[in-house]
Amino acid sequence: MKLPRGLGFEKYSGVYLWIALIIAFSIWQPHYFPTMFTVHTVAADQATACMLALAVLVPIAAGQFDLSVGANANICTMTAILLINDGWAWPKAVVSAVVLGAVIGAVNGFFVVRLKVSSFITTLGTGSIITAFQIIITNNSQPMPPSIDSWNNFTQTLVGGFQIIVIYMFALAFIVWWLLQKTPFGRYLFAIGSSPEAARLSGARVGMYTWVSMIISGLIAGIAGAFYASYAGPSLTYGSSLLLPAFAAVFLGSTQIIPGRFNVWGTVLAIFVLATGVKGLQLATDAQWLAPMFSGTALVVAVAVALGRQRSAEERTRKRLARTDASQLPGSSDEPLLPQVDGVTVE
Amino acid sequence: MPATFGSPAPTAALAITNLTKTFVGGRALNGVSFAIEAGEVHALLGENGSGKSTLIKVLSGYHKPDPGAEVLVNSAHLTFGVPHSSYEVGARFVHQDLGLIEDCSISDNLAFGPGFPTRVGTIREKTTRKRARLALEAMSLDLDPAMPIWRLSPAQKTGVAVARALIEDESAPVHLLVLDEPTARLPEHEVELLLAIVRRVRARGIGVLYVTHRLDEVFEIAQRATVLRDGVKVATEQVAGLTREKLLQQLLGAALEQAHRKSESDDRKGAPVLTVQGLASEALRDVNLDVHEHEIVGVAGITGSGRDALCATVFGARPHDAGTIQVNDQAITSRRPDLSMAAGVAYIPAERKLQGCFMDLTARENIGFTSLSTIWRFPTLRKGLEVLLAKQWFSKLGVRPSGGTEQPMATFSGGNQQKIIYGKWFQRQPSLYLLDEPTQGVDVGAKAELHQALFSAAEAGAAVLVSSSDVDELATICDRILVMRNGRIADVLVGERVSVHGITRAALDA
Repeated sequence: MKLPRGLGFEKYSGVYLWIALIIAFSIWQPHYFPTMFTVHTVAADQATACMLALAVLVPIAAGQFDLSVGANANICTMTAILLINDGWAWPKAVVSAVVLGAVIGAVNGFFVVRLKVSSFITTLGTGSIITAFQIIITNNSQPMPPSIDSWNNFTQTLVGGFQIIVIYMFALAFIVWWLLQKTPFGRYLFAIGSSPEAARLSGARVGMYTWVSMIISGLIAGIAGAFYASYAGPSLTYGSSLLLPAFAAVFLGSTQIIPGRFNVWGTVLAIFVLATGVKGLQLATDAQWLAPMFSGTALVVAVAVALGRQRSAEERTRKRLARTDASQLPGSSDEPLLPQVDGVTVE
Repeated sequence: MPATFGSPAPTAALAITNLTKTFVGGRALNGVSFAIEAGEVHALLGENGSGKSTLIKVLSGYHKPDPGAEVLVNSAHLTFGVPHSSYEVGARFVHQDLGLIEDCSISDNLAFGPGFPTRVGTIREKTTRKRARLALEAMSLDLDPAMPIWRLSPAQKTGVAVARALIEDESAPVHLLVLDEPTARLPEHEVELLLAIVRRVRARGIGVLYVTHRLDEVFEIAQRATVLRDGVKVATEQVAGLTREKLLQQLLGAALEQAHRKSESDDRKGAPVLTVQGLASEALRDVNLDVHEHEIVGVAGITGSGRDALCATVFGARPHDAGTIQVNDQAITSRRPDLSMAAGVAYIPAERKLQGCFMDLTARENIGFTSLSTIWRFPTLRKGLEVLLAKQWFSKLGVRPSGGTEQPMATFSGGNQQKIIYGKWFQRQPSLYLLDEPTQGVDVGAKAELHQALFSAAEAGAAVLVSSSDVDELATICDRILVMRNGRIADVLVGERVSVHGITRAALDA
């Protein structure tokens, strides 16, 4: 109540923070920061992180963690590149990589749904197993990046100054938004995330939907990995470094746009707010520790804020209900309180 | 047993004088006084809502009673509202939820309260074991202290909980043990073991306050019995010389019988909607029943009778081992609530907050949840239609605040949450409603409105099966009552017998 409601601080505090960061860095670094070049590189560089955050978002709506998305995207990147280097047509290699991602998601789902292993444990383990497989297939040495023009253009073609991977990312975000907010499937996921037992008793096939959410998570991780292969070339380790920023964005995003719910545009916003902060500070100070410091802080603070908000909402409700209870109390106890029932029972 | 109890002696294990407790909603206890002698088992009887649990919570230091009350445990004053005062004067409690940690051993569980014996910070295993063995022997429980709790039978678990409550503490010797419905969840053949334990406790000169619903046990174990009704003590009587009939009269009182819903439906009873044959599961044995169109059928029974399992089992939310369930000639299989719903069944569980609704989703989303196929038209869920449905049920069922369709479920009061859940199911127009505790934790006004909603559903042709621990409610709304005992339907009440007295008698097998 202290903040003016009309400006939407509750829902859009991230937007205000973003604007404040942009203004601050523009004043601090007037030559480097406020340029279209910065806009384009931040957008393209964050596209993969953003897609991984979307991969995290889908199962987390149903209350399941997928900690394997980083490793999953990484192995899909390497698979695509190795296949192309083997002489596969790159579209075929991309499809294979995406299918691999979905299969990994299905395996995660099998452990979570069928064997009832917690998703946290399952994906912590499978993430490590995937990394092991990556070492097996690459011999732990970085392959040559394929030098095929159409392959590079697949994600690096410029559209209005932006590399096209940014467009792909927004298209994917739009699809995930539609899936979560506009379809019964999304509603089932949020319901399961809220209370699996209530969802089951209201007719949701909890196991099936949970499994599908894990598959979609793997699928999106596969897509992110394949795009990354074209955008940045082979890398053996980028996946694990993007996992934490993805989770940070998802949790930070849950305090934005639709506060209290994991949501797509909040997540996308959070990615870019964090990236802007990191980018500005890097331009100003050249410090190496900024990105992990930012993501880590954002993750913990976001969860703390979300929980605090929930607690104060509960407290408000409790007080409001206590007030109405007291005002509804009958003056004397023999006042008839059951008019309708009396109407039925007294024949 | 010589009838020496009754006159208040200075050594009374417990002496309660003029105990009154007023809540915002009314008075739970009103001037209650009674005493328990050392070495006496004193039964405390009363219907749901008679004030038993409030009394126990006052003794345990959870509730602070109104001024003017006095509670003495072995002549020591109990400081109200202070849990450790309750411990210091020597009162111990074994609640229905025993509070044992299933994965830990008996000896660990016995050590969690008083603390482990240690030497330089390391647990002395042997001493811990030995203490545990002594505590078990005192209860004549022949158990290995290393055994984990989950391997014990229900009565043995209760025994361990009692042993834990009675562990010696020189600074605060035990004078009073409160057992809150210790046999409610015990199978018949285990009750005897528990009663033997209670006798051992009594032999140690400890006063026992024994809360129960089962009249048999009163006659078997107690020397005296106190009956509460609507927060007032009706009587404290010697059990010797007391008859079942008299005890029952005191329990029920001579309160005016509420007229129940007229079963004019007898002659216009429709076709059977639900037919259950030979249903058996963990909690049920050979249950046969049918519910017809236009009919509201109640399920009564004390805790542990299978009452609380019946609706969930019929819906397929709980597994069954044998028997058939037919709804509109379609078979219901277990573990597939979605198929049961497709067959026309609605189920409202007792645990509203955990199982009945989604607390952090909005009221609109909760109402729309079971009707998503109606609301969905490619490519989106039609929000306008969903809002319309929500508003419609808000106004039909009188949900308050009336403009709150976009608020999270958690911001509504219990009664309004329940109305929203009703709306969710009414929207589907099911032919069979299965309701567990349909108005639990709901204020009186909302309760009446919910009953009204059920009447209209039955009027429109639905069959309704209601399981409730609220006997008043069953008597008010049901055409027919199925009374369960030990997992079976032991009695069917119709016509005149559908009354608070009739149901209570049948449930207690009196």
